[in-house]
Amino acid sequence: MDAFLLLDQWAFLIPLLMVVSFALVGLFGTRLRALEWGGWAAVGIGGIAMVLGVGIAIGEMLHPGTYVNAQYTWLHLAGTPGPFPEGISLVAGTLVDPLSALMLLVVTVVGFLVLLYSIGYMHHDRGLPRYYAELSLFLAAMTGLVLSNNLLEFFLFWELVGVCSYFLIGFYYEKPSAASAAKEAFLVTRIGDVLFLLGIFIYFFHFATTGPSGGWAANGFVFAHGTSPFLPTGSVGSSTLLTIAGLMILGGAAGKSAQFPLHVWLPDAMEGPTTVSALIHAATMVAAGVYLLAVTSVFIGFTATDQLAIVAVGGFTTFFAATMAVVHPDIKRVIAYSTISQLGYMVMAVGAGFAMVGLFHLFTHAFFKALLFLAAGSVIHALGTQDLFKMGGLRKPMRVTGTAFAIGGLALAGIPPFAGFWSKDDILGSMYGELGSHPLYWPFWILALLAVFLTAYYIFRAWFLAFGGNGPRDPTLPPAHEGSWVMQVPLVILSGMAVFGGLLIFVPGFQGLLLYGAGASGIPPVYGPTDLALSGISVTLGAAGIGVAYWLWGNGRIFVLPESSPLQPVRRLLLNRYYLKAAYDWVGARAVYGIARGADFVDRYVIDGTVHGFERAFGAASDRLRRGQTGVVSDYAAYVIAGLLGVFVLLLLVAPYLLAHLGGT
Amino acid sequence: MFPILSAVLATLLVGTVLTFLSGKSARWVALATSFVFLAEVAYLLLQFPGWAGFAGGVPQFADGESYAWIHLGWLQVNYTLGIDGISLVLLVLTAILQLATVVYSWGETKKPAAWFGLLLLTCLGCVGVFVALDVLLFFLFWEAVLVPMFFIIGYWGGPRRRYAAIKFFVYTHVASIVMLVGLLALVFYSHATSFDYASVYAAAPSLSVVTQAFLFLSLFFGFGVKFPIVPFHTWLPDAHVEAPTGGSVLLAGLLLKLGGYGLIRWAVFVLPNGFHEVQPVLFVVAFASIAWGSVVSLAQRDLKRMVAFSSINHMGIVLLAIAVGSSLGLLAAVLLMFAHGIVSALLFMSSGSVHHTFGTRDIASVGGITPRTPVLATMIMIGSLASLGLPWLISFPAEFTALLATWDRLAYWVLLPLGILVVTAAFYIWMMQRMLFGPEKGIPESAHDLPAYETVGMGILAAAAIVFGVLPFLLVNLITASPIRVFPGV
Amino acid sequence: MTTLPESGFLLLSGLLLGVGVFGLLTRRNFILVLIALEIAMNATILNFVYFAAFAPHAAGLSGQAIAVVLIGFAATEVAVGLAIVLGLNRLKGTIDVAQGNLLKE
Repeated sequence: MDAFLLLDQWAFLIPLLMVVSFALVGLFGTRLRALEWGGWAAVGIGGIAMVLGVGIAIGEMLHPGTYVNAQYTWLHLAGTPGPFPEGISLVAGTLVDPLSALMLLVVTVVGFLVLLYSIGYMHHDRGLPRYYAELSLFLAAMTGLVLSNNLLEFFLFWELVGVCSYFLIGFYYEKPSAASAAKEAFLVTRIGDVLFLLGIFIYFFHFATTGPSGGWAANGFVFAHGTSPFLPTGSVGSSTLLTIAGLMILGGAAGKSAQFPLHVWLPDAMEGPTTVSALIHAATMVAAGVYLLAVTSVFIGFTATDQLAIVAVGGFTTFFAATMAVVHPDIKRVIAYSTISQLGYMVMAVGAGFAMVGLFHLFTHAFFKALLFLAAGSVIHALGTQDLFKMGGLRKPMRVTGTAFAIGGLALAGIPPFAGFWSKDDILGSMYGELGSHPLYWPFWILALLAVFLTAYYIFRAWFLAFGGNGPRDPTLPPAHEGSWVMQVPLVILSGMAVFGGLLIFVPGFQGLLLYGAGASGIPPVYGPTDLALSGISVTLGAAGIGVAYWLWGNGRIFVLPESSPLQPVRRLLLNRYYLKAAYDWVGARAVYGIARGADFVDRYVIDGTVHGFERAFGAASDRLRRGQTGVVSDYAAYVIAGLLGVFVLLLLVAPYLLAHLGGT
Repeated sequence: MFPILSAVLATLLVGTVLTFLSGKSARWVALATSFVFLAEVAYLLLQFPGWAGFAGGVPQFADGESYAWIHLGWLQVNYTLGIDGISLVLLVLTAILQLATVVYSWGETKKPAAWFGLLLLTCLGCVGVFVALDVLLFFLFWEAVLVPMFFIIGYWGGPRRRYAAIKFFVYTHVASIVMLVGLLALVFYSHATSFDYASVYAAAPSLSVVTQAFLFLSLFFGFGVKFPIVPFHTWLPDAHVEAPTGGSVLLAGLLLKLGGYGLIRWAVFVLPNGFHEVQPVLFVVAFASIAWGSVVSLAQRDLKRMVAFSSINHMGIVLLAIAVGSSLGLLAAVLLMFAHGIVSALLFMSSGSVHHTFGTRDIASVGGITPRTPVLATMIMIGSLASLGLPWLISFPAEFTALLATWDRLAYWVLLPLGILVVTAAFYIWMMQRMLFGPEKGIPESAHDLPAYETVGMGILAAAAIVFGVLPFLLVNLITASPIRVFPGV
Repeated sequence: MTTLPESGFLLLSGLLLGVGVFGLLTRRNFILVLIALEIAMNATILNFVYFAAFAPHAAGLSGQAIAVVLIGFAATEVAVGLAIVLGLNRLKGTIDVAQGNLLKE
């Protein structure tokens, strides 16, 4: 057996290593005076994990296939007669296939680079041990999620990455805005999680009835179960049930991947350290939603209705998020909106049945988006501000960062030969082939195409504002400088991936990886520029976006929309994020909290009031009765005699009457 | 065979008496008793043979003991004890909670002998309820729990302690009387040969369905008030807010479980036909408790009151799991009772520590406590995350199983408890945002992190929450070692 | 076993009991209450004696014995009663029953 295949069986070591790192740094990090010690330990362990991850990915390229390993029973609900005569086993284990190998590659490589970069970026921070502990736990959870071999295990890690994200967004917890953003992220994704859980229930019971002989079940992405078929539930027809389950999965994915309408948390999540934004909120965790959809579409499959819904959500979000990025003054939030938009492309691709195409974009996007974030991080690290309108002229003092940001921008804008071009073009091209048979996809495809223009525009607007011009617009800013080598090395490596990552489709092994799962949808995905006209259109749109950005913002120009312009209301709408954030706040702080206050009032004064009413009634009654207690002996004697008479009446008159008339036993 | 269950009861009884007598060193006696108790429960665990099942329709218990107690003509009352997987899980919970509570209240200075003695007495009563297999014995233990708790609230409690103690006592006592009437009617109408569980169990099916339904309702009311169920829950927030921390811990961790245990053991198992008749009532009450507990929690300003209302929510899920009437549901209910026992105890300890560290439990007036009291903040985090059902912590496997069972029987109705999960997350996360994060606010100069004994007390519970959350099969295998009665017609 | 003959005795003892109870409830003078109590008690004694006459030998004897004991008991009762009357008189300066309400406290 091949050495790389042997590695599959040890895949579980990757999350385990990161847990060790978490425990090591978390428990002993604060004990040691040298704070960076913990950081380097985490970087070292992350490096080992990366080597394993890359090894597994190479093994998968050499031998594409599905390998289920290291199963153990997490929860065995045995001996519970009823619907499960043989009991239920919820099994945890690892599953290595092209999907997870690709994802594992992204997570371990970007994870390692971010760990390294953080040594420089976070070196001044008091909470360094906490930071590295939480980041290690996140990487453990994320690699665990990628390697999960069933939906429940997936959910366990899914929630764990969510809570790590919660803690890392709220890393600067003294800041009220950070604490608030963390809360928002947790609760909005929680809505998706709840839907996801329902989806799991439906799949659990639905597929349990088909038994292990079902075609998809052979893939192993399923709960293990007893040999007897489970009872079918309800009278809902299976295709309706499947559609609902698919929509629930979409709900979960939308929460995690910040798709409309659950996207509001991601821009606010930029309150966390920039490194966290790069790793969690650009490259890995937010991509978990896309990964979930891909995994579901490959192993279980979506109904046509589900597919349309997923395409609609993804396509709309692509355009919708891009519009908000156009006006925003904060460098990190511009990139955050861009992330939402790019995730929309991936969701759309998976929805249309091209899971691996979506995952290919996830792959390239992870690198160039992490690059953009880390470059922005260097700027923020140097200047201490995130406001684009205060920056300017940074390309001279920060040559590496400026170049890196430009490369990332070109990749994002889809300019060949940068990585983003290949993957985005594949999405648009593959979907174009589907449009004939699915006319309802048309509007979303058009929106996605238009978003190409917006994407190129907003990212180069940011570049010209930060790096173009002659010097900072805010003279109070400190002089800019490059970070130390630990910050520059990841930028260089990621730049390399952003330039050449897309060309990997011409590598046979990698292409084999990407062709996986083609059988599931029946349509082979398209790789490379097969339709040159289409590529021409999208590249032209991208170039036009860059051109417009240069025309409006290049050479230190500042474009100010005239007050009288009819576009002003649109600008306000975009700056206020379509008022959706305000709507969410209203629902949370006014509607739900108002209901809660009302319920509390009812609880205190109506329900408990009734209890107190009883109390008062009994009090009043006993007060009346007490007056009979005069202390006069002859009154008591009268009560005794009256009571005695009452007993006589009961015994001699009432009881015989009852016995005679009611009869019976 | 060595009467191990009697030995457990005797340990606690002797320990209680010695604690009462030992003055200033009472805490050492209580600690020693807790360790002996824990060792005995560990012995029970190791020896637990699994349940033999319902041989010939008769429930089987392990470590059974039976001695004649009151035999007067047809009145055959025995001292009968026995355990199965369900009671064993709750015994484990009792042992853990007793140890944690004794350690946590190590610094108690107000009449320590009486305090520790009453703590042990409460645990004794609970253990008695979990192991008694005789109607009268069960009821005596059931009532015996009220007395020490009444004094714990009434003497060591907060400013309105008298009101809360009396409300607690009267409310639950009225419910107990309804329950007693139900139990006695069950024995007499079914013409059971004795008060033993086995004979009541064997005789109950002879009752008509309507009789069973009414008996079930009376038992449900009695057990339900302890749960507590909406709308008979208002004693709980008051009792919790006024009770001292140790009292709250036992109240939420153990006393509420008596209701769930009683309902399963004495109502659902014994009267399955009656149970099926009134199932819709149970569903309505369960849904009401789940929604009400969670929504009202959101509006609370007092941390302890908030946790108290969240208990109503969680016990509502327990009731729902029982009400779906499947073996899976019962399994989930027992698991969830254990989980809630651990987690709510941790949260009540946290709010007690918040109270004496910052002088207030008002969520809005204390903020940013994490840098000053990192250990306390960590405990609050673990407790809150566990309580809102985060995987890898103990509540998740239980809630997952409960909701799975609910989907199995009620299909889309499961959306209600699922949706409420978001509200539950909301009030915990919002509380953490206000109390743990943000700029420092309302922290007195003298505030310092937890004393060692409180850290250890809470640490025991936090460790239990994590261990059983990561490895839930440790508990589940214990419960499923007792085949749960197959419901007729299901 | 002979059946009990219709007899004026039962009527008489019922009447005595009625008179006694009536006096007990209506008189406010403590002495008169005591006297009423004695009358009611005599009705009981009369019943004992009456039924003893019809009972088998051993039971008849015990009936008569109880009657004798009760007469003794009545005497002690009067003694205790009068002592209470004296006490009440010393405490309140009256022997009105309604004034003796110390039980209320």
